[in-house]
Order: sequence, then C-alpha cells, then structure tokens
Amino acid sequence: MEVLNTLTLAVLATGVLMASRRSLDAIIRLYALQNLLLAALAFLLAHGEVHFILAGVALFLVKGVLIPAYLFWLLDRLEVSHEVEGYLSVSLSLLLAGLLTGLAFRVGQAFVLPTAPLPQGVPVGLALVLLGALSMVGRKKAVSQVLGFLALENGVFLLALAESHGLPLFVELGVALDAFAAVFLAGVLIFRIKGELGHVDTARMRSLKG
Amino acid sequence: MLYLLLLLPLFTLLGRKEARVLPALAVGTALLSVALALGLLGRAEGPFRLDGVGLFYLLLTDLLYALVALFARGYFAGEEAWRFYWSGALFLVAVHGAYLAHNLGVLWVFVEGSTLASALLIYHRGGARALEATWKYLMLGSVGIALGLMGVILVYALLNGATLDWAHAKALMPGVDAEGLRVAFALLLVGFGTKVGLFPLHAWLPDAHAEAPGPASALLSGTLLNVAFYALLRYAALVEAAGLFPFASKLLLAFGLLSLFGAALFLYGQREYKRLLAYSSVEHMGLAVFALGLGLPWLALFHTLAHSLAKTLAFLGASAVMKASRAKEVGQVGGLVRAWPSLGIPFLLSLAALGGLPPFPLFFAELQAVQAALAWPGLGVAYLLGLGLAFVGLLGPMGQMGFGRGRAGAARGLALWPLWALLALLWLLGLFPPVGVFKALEVALWKL
Repeated sequence: MEVLNTLTLAVLATGVLMASRRSLDAIIRLYALQNLLLAALAFLLAHGEVHFILAGVALFLVKGVLIPAYLFWLLDRLEVSHEVEGYLSVSLSLLLAGLLTGLAFRVGQAFVLPTAPLPQGVPVGLALVLLGALSMVGRKKAVSQVLGFLALENGVFLLALAESHGLPLFVELGVALDAFAAVFLAGVLIFRIKGELGHVDTARMRSLKG
Repeated sequence: MLYLLLLLPLFTLLGRKEARVLPALAVGTALLSVALALGLLGRAEGPFRLDGVGLFYLLLTDLLYALVALFARGYFAGEEAWRFYWSGALFLVAVHGAYLAHNLGVLWVFVEGSTLASALLIYHRGGARALEATWKYLMLGSVGIALGLMGVILVYALLNGATLDWAHAKALMPGVDAEGLRVAFALLLVGFGTKVGLFPLHAWLPDAHAEAPGPASALLSGTLLNVAFYALLRYAALVEAAGLFPFASKLLLAFGLLSLFGAALFLYGQREYKRLLAYSSVEHMGLAVFALGLGLPWLALFHTLAHSLAKTLAFLGASAVMKASRAKEVGQVGGLVRAWPSLGIPFLLSLAALGGLPPFPLFFAELQAVQAALAWPGLGVAYLLGLGLAFVGLLGPMGQMGFGRGRAGAARGLALWPLWALLALLWLLGLFPPVGVFKALEVALWKL
C-alpha cells in the first residue's frame, strides 16, 4: 500500500512539473519518467497476472521509449529553440496547476467506484487530464501542445488502471497505437508547418475564423 | 471473413501512385465490400460482429465512397490524386472497423483511427490554411475523443470490468449504478459529440470542411460524422437498457436544439460556400441528435441517411463550382442554372433538400420530428423556429449562386452523373420513405 501511494504521488509530481517546466527536453524526460512510474503501478496491480504485465511492458516501450525518442529526434531536426513559449509565467502556471489539482481531488471523490483497485489514483488521473489540457491551451509551440495531449492521455490511462485494472489488453494496445499514430502524424505536420511558415508557433496560425 | 471485410479497402494501395488505376481500385474495393457485407449479416468473429445497424451505415459509407471516388477521378486530374485515394483507403478501413466492432473499446479505437485517417484527407497537399485546419482538427478531435475514452472507462468500471462486449454489456446494464452511468454518458456525449460536430464543440468542423479538397469534404460530412453519431446511438441504447433514457433524452434534446440555433445563426455570416455547407452539417447532425432525444432512433437513422446523401451531393457540386470558377465566395459565383445546368440543377436542388423543402427526405424527417416534439409545445415551436432560421440562411446563397450575377464557368472532364444519381436517390427517398426498414433497424439497435 505504501509503495502504491508513493508511486501515485510521484506520478502527480511529474504531472505538475510537466505543466510548469520551461525546457522541452526536461518535459520530454518527465514524460518518459511518468510512463515508467505508470508501468510500475501496472505491475504492482497485476498480482502476477501475465497479460497485465505484458500490457505494462508494451505500453512502456511505446510511450516511455518510442514516443520520447521520436520527440527528441523531432526537436533536433526542427532546429528551433527548446524553450517553451507560453502565455503564462512559471509561477502562474504552478499556481494554476495547484488549483486544478485541488479541483481534481475535490471532484475526483465522486468518480471513485466502490470496486476501484487504486482509489487514490482516480483524482490523480483527473488531475493529469486537467494539467494536460492546461498545457495545451497555455502554450504556443506545436511540440508542447503534443506533450500536453500526451500527458492528458496518460491521465486517462491512469484512470482506467485505478478504476478497473485497466482496459482489456487488445483495447489498451489499440489505444496506445492510436496515441503513437497521432503523435507521429503531429510530428509530420510540425515539419510541414516549419517548412511552410518558418516557425512552429500555433498562436500565429490565425487565418481561419468564424 | 469479417477481417477480410475490414481490410478490403487496403487493396487500393496496390495501385501505388498510378492515377489511372487508383480510382478503379477504390471503386472496386468499395463495391466488393458492399457485396461481401450483405452476405455477412449476423456473423461474429473475435471482437467483431455485423448487425443490421452496422450493415446500414457500412453500406451507406461504401456506396457514397464509390460515388465520391468516381467523381474524384476528374477532380484530381493532373494533381496528386494518390494522396486522396491512399488516405481514403485508410479512412475506409477505420470506418469499417467502427461499424463492425462489437466491443465498446474497439469501437473507440476505430473512431479515433478515423480521426487520424481523415486528418490526412484534410491535409492533402498542404499549404498554410490546410495545415492550420488539420492541426486544429487533430488537436481538438484527439482531446474530445480522449474525454470519450474516459466515458468508456467509466462504463467498463461500472460493469466491474466484466466485459466491453456490446450485447453482454447491455444485458448487465439494469444492475449498473445510475449516478455513475449519468457521469459516463455526459462524458461520452461531449467526447463523441465533438466529432459529431455538435455546437459549441464544433470549432474544428468549418475549417476542416472548408480547407479539405472537395471530394474529401464530401466524405467528411457525408460519412465521417456518421461514425461518431453511430457510437452515440450505441451508448444511448445502453443507457436505455439501464432505464436512464429520460436523463439522456434531456441532454440530447438540449444539444440538438443548441446545434440547430448555433449553426443557423452562423449561416448568415458566411461568405464562403463550403463553410456554409459545413455549418449546415452542424445543423443537421444536431437535428439527428434531437430526433434521438425524442426517443425516435429510427428517425435519427433516417435523418443521417438523408443528410449524408444531400450533403455529399452538395459538396461534390461545390467542388465542381470551385474547380470551374476558382472562386470560394458565394458572391463571386452566379448564374449556375443557366450557364451550366448539368451541374447547376442538382447543386441548387441539394441546397433545397438541405433547407428541408419537399419532396426531399429531410422535409419528411423534419415533419416527423415536429409532430413528435409538439407533444411539448415549447419544444416543437423552438424546433420550427430554428428550422425557419436555417432555411432563410440558405435561401440567399441559393438565389445568388443559382440565378445571380457572377462567374459560373464550366470544367471539362468532371463526371457529373454521380450528382444526378444522388439526386434521384434523394427524390425516391423523399417520395417513398422506407419507414418500415428504419423501424426494423431501431428494433435491432434497441431491443437485441
């Protein structure tokens, strides 16, 4: 129980840090770490059942290794600064992150089902979803929006883990595959945006209205 | 065999980048899928199963895809047609998967897959505006659908992780915690509703529909929106099985009315005709959701069918207009009926059909909905008011493009007979609406 609590809190910490850090490299590393922690949680909840362990390994390989490696490669190739440009200062982001986490913990109690194997994970999952959404709307660079989406997706994953031992294996793998395809596609688009407009700043993409 | 049906569209990729071979392969795989699907009704394999409702949408999608692919042959002449046919093939695989899925998780996976494939359709050859539209679509679509996934997870947890199989879940529904299911349905409605294009979650839709190449816009509006709507239909049936339909009904009616009024008001501010058609999609998907909220799933199914045919016709017509006149705005195009009747007549009539004029099927559908809604007079009056507002919004552009001053032009090499075929189908459906068939589909959806 002690270990589960610690891991869950650590996941929350990575989420808050991801929402407030300014360096894209640090955020990608935090994302990889978050997936390591989530995989560890999945193992502990598996109680030796093989298919949970397989799911944990597969997810860690896709989201903890493959996606971060792809993002690092993308950043190198793009030749843009690795700094996050946002509408919010670091202190303001931290404050908002704290508020959203508090909200998640308050609302989260209502989401916890009586049969949940990891009740403390439910509000943390919700918090990750909200923090991911905060990163997506508060930041200008396309890459940091992708990272916000990934954090949000991890929140949904944690929710599944906490409420019901995760989804069935083939669904879980399908979801991870979708996430990977979305990130890959986003990467290709980012290259094109850079090529076409000379920057990767989505705040300056404003020709479509109404 | 269901796996074969799932993967059949991929055979298009054998045509490589040959602009001569690809259309034939695309049409061929779509028609083969139709034939195969008809023989596989009721079959189950793994997480897949083909039932009446799935079959209905599958046939509709494949037939429309075949018509659009035929039209696209002339439209993309000389351009990079392979991008359209390749992403079209991927899109069709995702859509097949969604309609074959007999598992709520697998359904989610394929609905998200259809988002990714259709992002490729929108992007096509790029350019700053297409990039912006695709980026917006990918981000909003993915976040929306992630909320939907939270709903799926809650349903799974409410079932104690017993199953995600659709029939099995339905059987277990009566014992499920009502409060939890309400939360789950709200998340699902917002999640899949983003992809259906319900107001105010529709923000991606006008950009995507306007910036995609014409045939792709037709696919987006005529077939993609239905995929997410189909997921909503499934969940509405689950909620009904749990005895909570009155709750779902209020949410659906509210979203439906909101979409009707929101879209109708936006119709007035649009200068580009493709954006106009996009807002008309928001309106009609709202009306389908409204029909579902009235407790008339058969009418919702019928409404999506009529909308798909009329909107595919309208977008194909709009892409022909754009190809010939090189003008995007309503005010620059005029006199289509005189100058180019083989296009002007079906295009104008498609707008009339979307406006809900008789003898087109949307008129019949809207009349049925009004009759049912008048059981609560306020609701019926609001519905009528919204319809009137939307109709007048379409009337101005219709007159301008059909009879006003402006460019019309005529493009060679465009196959216009798919438009006339769609028009004939619309007419038939409007004059002889097959209500019995749709009531049978409703039974398949609701009772089995």
